[in-house]
Amino acid sequence: METKLFRWAAILTVLALALIVVTIVATAIGPANISVDKVTLIILSDIVSKIPFLSGQVHITKTWTDGEAGIIMLVRLPRVILALLVGATLAVAGTAAQAIFKNPMADPYILGVSSGAAFGAALVITFGLYTITLTIPLGLLDIKFGAIQLGALTGGLLATFLVFNIGRAGSKLPIETVILSGIAVSAFFSAITSFLMYIGGHSLSQVVYWVMGALWSADWNGIWLMLPTALIGCVIIMAFSRDLNMLLLGDEPASHLGTNVSIVKAGILALMSLITAAAVSVSGIIGFVGLIIPHMMRLIVGPDHRILIPSSILMGAMFLTAADTFSRMVIQPTEIPVGIITALIGAPFFVYLLSRKKKGVA
Amino acid sequence: MLDIERISFNYGTAKVLEGITFRAGRGECIGIIGPNGSGKSTLLKTLSKVLRPSSGRVVLCDKELERYSSKELARHMAVVPQDTNIDFDFTCLEVVLMGRNPHMGRFELEGKRELDIAGECMILTSTWHLRERPFSEVSGGERQRVIIARALAQEPAVLLLDEPVSHLDINHQIEILDLVERLKGQRGLVVMIVLHDLNLAARYCDRLMLLYENKILATGSPAEVLTHEYIGQAFRANVVIRKHPLTGFLYVTLLNALEAQEPATGKAVHVVCGAGTGTRLLFTLRSRGYNVTAGVLNVLDSDYDAAVQLSIKTVSEAPFSPITPESYARALDMMMRADAIVISDVPFGWGNLKNLQAVIEASGSKPVMLVENQNEERDFTGGEAARMLERIKASGAIIVKDDEALIEALGRQR
Repeated sequence: METKLFRWAAILTVLALALIVVTIVATAIGPANISVDKVTLIILSDIVSKIPFLSGQVHITKTWTDGEAGIIMLVRLPRVILALLVGATLAVAGTAAQAIFKNPMADPYILGVSSGAAFGAALVITFGLYTITLTIPLGLLDIKFGAIQLGALTGGLLATFLVFNIGRAGSKLPIETVILSGIAVSAFFSAITSFLMYIGGHSLSQVVYWVMGALWSADWNGIWLMLPTALIGCVIIMAFSRDLNMLLLGDEPASHLGTNVSIVKAGILALMSLITAAAVSVSGIIGFVGLIIPHMMRLIVGPDHRILIPSSILMGAMFLTAADTFSRMVIQPTEIPVGIITALIGAPFFVYLLSRKKKGVA
Repeated sequence: MLDIERISFNYGTAKVLEGITFRAGRGECIGIIGPNGSGKSTLLKTLSKVLRPSSGRVVLCDKELERYSSKELARHMAVVPQDTNIDFDFTCLEVVLMGRNPHMGRFELEGKRELDIAGECMILTSTWHLRERPFSEVSGGERQRVIIARALAQEPAVLLLDEPVSHLDINHQIEILDLVERLKGQRGLVVMIVLHDLNLAARYCDRLMLLYENKILATGSPAEVLTHEYIGQAFRANVVIRKHPLTGFLYVTLLNALEAQEPATGKAVHVVCGAGTGTRLLFTLRSRGYNVTAGVLNVLDSDYDAAVQLSIKTVSEAPFSPITPESYARALDMMMRADAIVISDVPFGWGNLKNLQAVIEASGSKPVMLVENQNEERDFTGGEAARMLERIKASGAIIVKDDEALIEALGRQR
């Protein structure tokens, strides 16, 4: 047991260190050349200046220009942090989905969140409903929902709600009917989205770009929405990691081992859909992160969710940040939606997994 | 310990269980038997709270099952299913540690205590050497032992097993059930086990519950439940139930399904046999619907036992004794009434020679059939029996080479 705990601690430490490196490097990379040490100092001094009792004590010599600080703090850092949060959220949601559906091919969009969100976003874009916004005042800072964001969030939650209600049998959630109703609801929303794009004319390209998933609209407002979402989602799902282990054995064995199966299943699925909808609303539909990250980590750390979930969270955050950096650098001065990059890496990986599975069968 | 009080269960309008009442105590192994669809698995599912009974209640350790939380119930009751497949690569030790789940807090990690208990359970079930092996890669018998170790790690008072050996080879079946029996004694468990195999049920259970058409048909010791009548009714089968001479346990042999028995032909056949030469003949003739009589046979002769099992009217004589005039007269009477007389490939000595005498006297115009394979010496009277058999053959007896040919020849008789 001690060796296992030591192994777990080692894995998480390595991943956390790698994540910090990736974060700083990703922030440093960009058209304007700002060195890694400057980036580190800019971020540190900003943090220090925000904490009252530290600002008088610690002094960091300013070696950068105000312009450089602006690029880092207002453009690059929000984008990197948002990538971290969205990546972590998608990874934790994917891990939960794969456990609950006992299927390594499940992903966070399995309950139709993505098509519902696409429908909501397409509705806003096609009919130009940009005036509909929502501001939640929270004292120190206000969270503002843009129209597209609001549409995507509402659409995603609507689709999930429908899937739950079609799929459930009384208080039980039979996996087969939930998956099938997910497929049905997705197909329905996709059809409407296609129709909206068809009649939309000039707004077509905008919907297409949104659906591909990108982080170029990242700002601090998006971060204030995603930060609590990601935190709550990760903590609660981690708290249920032993229950998720039990669920891998099947519903009846899990209940015989003391897991309240129907409550855990419904609760985790609802939470998973909620955090996924939030992630989609700020970033569009970024595919494959929620599918391949849990899978990859399962190969490395094993199926126990107590290590699988935290390591997937770290890896998901790292992977999306790296992919997003790549997407904005690969054909400058334009950038590719990050959803294309994740799919480009994700699809071959998926094929690799399938071929492994085939070998196992043969 | 475990009280089942008037449990009924309906799937929609279909009744699956009706008025099941039963009580099981510490250190008892209760076997649940019955044909497919009689409600065995449903009963086990209501006991483990997977299904809620439509009416009635289950009381476990003086508390109603309804009032247990999932976690609390898992500390009192463990379930071993028929088969367990886990697609994910947990090691056997990790699987057994999952049995500690109901005893642990949400953020608690397995400590020394958990490991000690899991290790002890794995040693008890002889699975400790498998601890680092992936669960999905061990054999069926090993897997079932690991699952039993997991169940024990829950430290339950009640152990439910749903056909735990149906997918295993016979050596593993005995191994698993021996283990359950030993653990029952050591830990004072209440064991409720669904078994398909009546012989295993007779061997390992203290009491049996026979379910038939969703109700309890019989409960009690194996000897009280495993009777020709109850098993015949529940399984629609004709069975022989005996004590095994070597093990002393009851064992059930299936003769045929009741449906397979042919209607009575109304024809009477008397069989002269002995020393096991007529056992199969008696059974075959009986299941073909003939009205069979037999004799004279000595008590303790295996043919005599067969005749008794098959409820065939038999003239009998004390063990190792020659045929008395009274028995002779009764056997002759039976032969006179029969439509045909059959002589099996039985050897003749001075003890049973009079049977041939009776055949000669009774035959007259009625058909006589002889089974003769000529491979073995059958005359132990120094020529007397051979002479009499020749005489029977001379007066038109039909000679056949085996039982099958005899049945066929008999079928051709008008």
